Amino acid sequence: MSEEEHILELLIGPQHPASGHMRLVAKVDGDVVVSLRPDIGYVHRTVEKLAETKNYIQIIPLVERPPLADTANHNLGYVLALERLLGIEAPPRAQWLRTLLAEMTRIHSHFYGIGIHGIMLGSSTAFMWAFWDREIMIELAQRLTGARLTYSYMIPGGVRRDLPPGFEDEMEKALRYLERRIPDYHKIFFDNPVTKARLEGVGVLRKEDAIRLGIVGPNLRASGVPYDVRKVDPYCAYPELDFNVITREEGDSLARVMVRVGEIKESINMIRQILKKMPDGPILEERYLKMIPPKWKDWMAQHRRIKLPAALISLRPPKGEAVARVEAARGEAVYYIVSDGSPKPYRFRVVSPSIRNVVLFEHLIRNCRVADIPAIYGSLDYFPPEADR
Amino acid sequence: MMGLLEWILNLLLSPWLFVPLIYPGLISAFAVLLFIIWLERKLAAKVQLRYGPLYVLKQLGGVIQLVADLLRYLSAEPIVPDQADRLAFIFGPILLFASSYMATVAIPISYNFYAFRSEISLLVVLALTAMAPVFNLVIGWGSNNKFGLIGGLREGFLITADEIPLFVSALAMAILYGTMDLVRMVELQSRWLWGIVLNPLAAITFFVLMLLSTSRFPFEIVEAESEIVMGPFTEYSGILYGLTMGASYVKLYVLSLLFAILFLGGWEPLPPLEFPGSWLILPAAVLFLKALVMMGLSVFMRSVYPRYRIDQALRLAWHYLFPASILSVFLSFVVLMGWFI
Amino acid sequence: MASRSESESQGQERAEAAPSGEAEALLSKVLEGLSPEISTVGSAVSVKVPPDCLKEAAQRLKAAGFDHVKAVTGIDRPDSGEIELVYHVSSYLDPKLSRWIVALRTTLPRDDPETPSLYDVWPSVKYHEMEQREMLGIRFSGHPDPRRLLLPESYKGIPPLRKDFKVKVEGINA
Repeated sequence: MSEEEHILELLIGPQHPASGHMRLVAKVDGDVVVSLRPDIGYVHRTVEKLAETKNYIQIIPLVERPPLADTANHNLGYVLALERLLGIEAPPRAQWLRTLLAEMTRIHSHFYGIGIHGIMLGSSTAFMWAFWDREIMIELAQRLTGARLTYSYMIPGGVRRDLPPGFEDEMEKALRYLERRIPDYHKIFFDNPVTKARLEGVGVLRKEDAIRLGIVGPNLRASGVPYDVRKVDPYCAYPELDFNVITREEGDSLARVMVRVGEIKESINMIRQILKKMPDGPILEERYLKMIPPKWKDWMAQHRRIKLPAALISLRPPKGEAVARVEAARGEAVYYIVSDGSPKPYRFRVVSPSIRNVVLFEHLIRNCRVADIPAIYGSLDYFPPEADR
Repeated sequence: MMGLLEWILNLLLSPWLFVPLIYPGLISAFAVLLFIIWLERKLAAKVQLRYGPLYVLKQLGGVIQLVADLLRYLSAEPIVPDQADRLAFIFGPILLFASSYMATVAIPISYNFYAFRSEISLLVVLALTAMAPVFNLVIGWGSNNKFGLIGGLREGFLITADEIPLFVSALAMAILYGTMDLVRMVELQSRWLWGIVLNPLAAITFFVLMLLSTSRFPFEIVEAESEIVMGPFTEYSGILYGLTMGASYVKLYVLSLLFAILFLGGWEPLPPLEFPGSWLILPAAVLFLKALVMMGLSVFMRSVYPRYRIDQALRLAWHYLFPASILSVFLSFVVLMGWFI
Repeated sequence: MASRSESESQGQERAEAAPSGEAEALLSKVLEGLSPEISTVGSAVSVKVPPDCLKEAAQRLKAAGFDHVKAVTGIDRPDSGEIELVYHVSSYLDPKLSRWIVALRTTLPRDDPETPSLYDVWPSVKYHEMEQREMLGIRFSGHPDPRRLLLPESYKGIPPLRKDFKVKVEGINA
């Protein structure tokens, strides 16, 4: 049999239970995958071009849609870039509230990743439990912002709402519940001998390759590179929080999953610190607060939210450009805005963590087995809508 | 008129028609199929903090959900792809389902109630259950689908890996009891001890192989949904799909009955109690209950384990289970000699 | 430009060490001879080089410790008839360099935007260059993968991110 006939081209295409919104073209020899080529672009929604037709405040929901499970961090990245362009800074309480929501989002995004990985391996228990525990954080985020997943909470100059009464106690109950649950996950999923057999030593990413290929997020930290934007280039309240950067040396799929679990634990600690140390004060920058008509002052104080000033709607930043990076749950997100003085951006560039990780499909899934494709895919926490934007 | 009715009733209740057709044969295989899938979904749901099937008969916890599913399958159109091999595509699932429960013909349900008794009835049961997996290959090839091909080939590898140690473990028990006649085995167990106590190694090996050969988690490799869509069953819809899904559960049912007879004392309660030889209903019910417990344990694995890779499952079967089954033969010899000494 | 960077550094009291002085000095030293224009624009250190010096500048930056590319952006400026190409690079391993983002930029003529691909210098540009190639029509010579990334293979027409491509706004009843 000639070489070409020996190799089967398997289209793990968009119509596949475990492929996501993308196609993986696998060349398979028996049970061994010879090469894998990702074919992305199925959910390309032209976010960058659309942003050139929208006002700056309208881009906030637009920017939240690609990374759907992890919206607050991307919202934060965009707003930081915009604030750098405008030359303003949010008041301290707003910065801490932003950090609070960012860490809550990190927790439920990591649970999403763990759940999807579980179902790809076949453990529906991990999937159901992870999505249930995710609900805790989403419910609390709903109390805080009014929305379950796409908060649009952070605006240039501050945030839109303050903490509702009783939030700290509910959050403490939730955090204690999550801390009790994580050992259950270890017992049923992470320390399960079948999971270990499927994940240990599978898809090893070496440190040099991770740096050379520009990988981001827990995938990078699981290969031994202690790079976390929250420590390297801190923003919002991170300089005053005490947390560790979780790294592992092995670089295999299990290491990547364990880094995420470690980050969940760190985020739980961080939320406790935030709630304890949060300063008082206004939640929107002074200039914009002054733009709100005085008749709303009582309403704002009573409901602990702000009324969006009309001037923000046709915001005109000065001419120039700005770049901002944040540590989203899946990795580092970079926002680059070029403004020409008009209410719409001249060029808007968003580099999401998933588009930087997509090269790992080609690189890691080689000379491994067909069953390793979902094992490695799930461990990368790759999100196709975020990569395609 | 009454004479005709009486004649039909006598016919139905005679062992050689009752056993293959009603219990433990076709009709009870169907009933068990409908019940055990409900049980699997309910058990998994309880572990996973959700309700499982609930609404179809809410007072009983949705127990006839599978009847609803079966009716849905019957009313869906069984689509046969253009390029598929029609004969293999249509007859594959039918023969797969049929050959799965064919072994019930040789399973006795009481001392004097059996369709078929012989000195080698254990071999008959094992041989008939081993016939079924070949149709998975037929289905995989006939679907004309790459995923089906991969799934069928996985089944091909797994057939040899699990049937051989299964046979050896069952034969270890035959050596222990000194006979391959299933009725005699139950008799001996009620006089000595249950098989699971006499030769636990054979019991454990048989149980793991039962999981392997019927695609229960962690060995749900042939239909690994996140890798190969549905394996050999990818192209199926309608009642043919229902048959393919049910076939592995029916095989589980047959192997559970065999497990109950070999290791759990069959239709007798705990030794030294014994049912009088002429009773039928209570012994049959006891056997059914024991088989149900084994099936429940097997389907519960869904909520605990992810699935293995094919090479890991094959390594488990050849490197660990096969030597273990050979060891269980030696253990049988040791127990025999210990009994007589 | 100067007043912008002043308000920037006022606005970032507790951010990283203001990249102005130290970074600019380092980059002037690394890139001397290539006539770079260095300035601090919006929290990144912007380095502008002529298009034929781009690869050389990239190699020098790589040797200095900037080991990965964060973003590749093409900015279409039809008024001046050029396309500006910006590479945002930074470092993972070097703790001093990882605080800074260096925006390596050049301008290409709009009618024939061709530039050598920086894949041999930084393999992390692979997918970014593919995206800018199909979105703006920039040709990267030496890029290993000729496929389209996000656009369908059958798409014919103006590269979407160019300013001539107008987004058609459809009404609700469309």
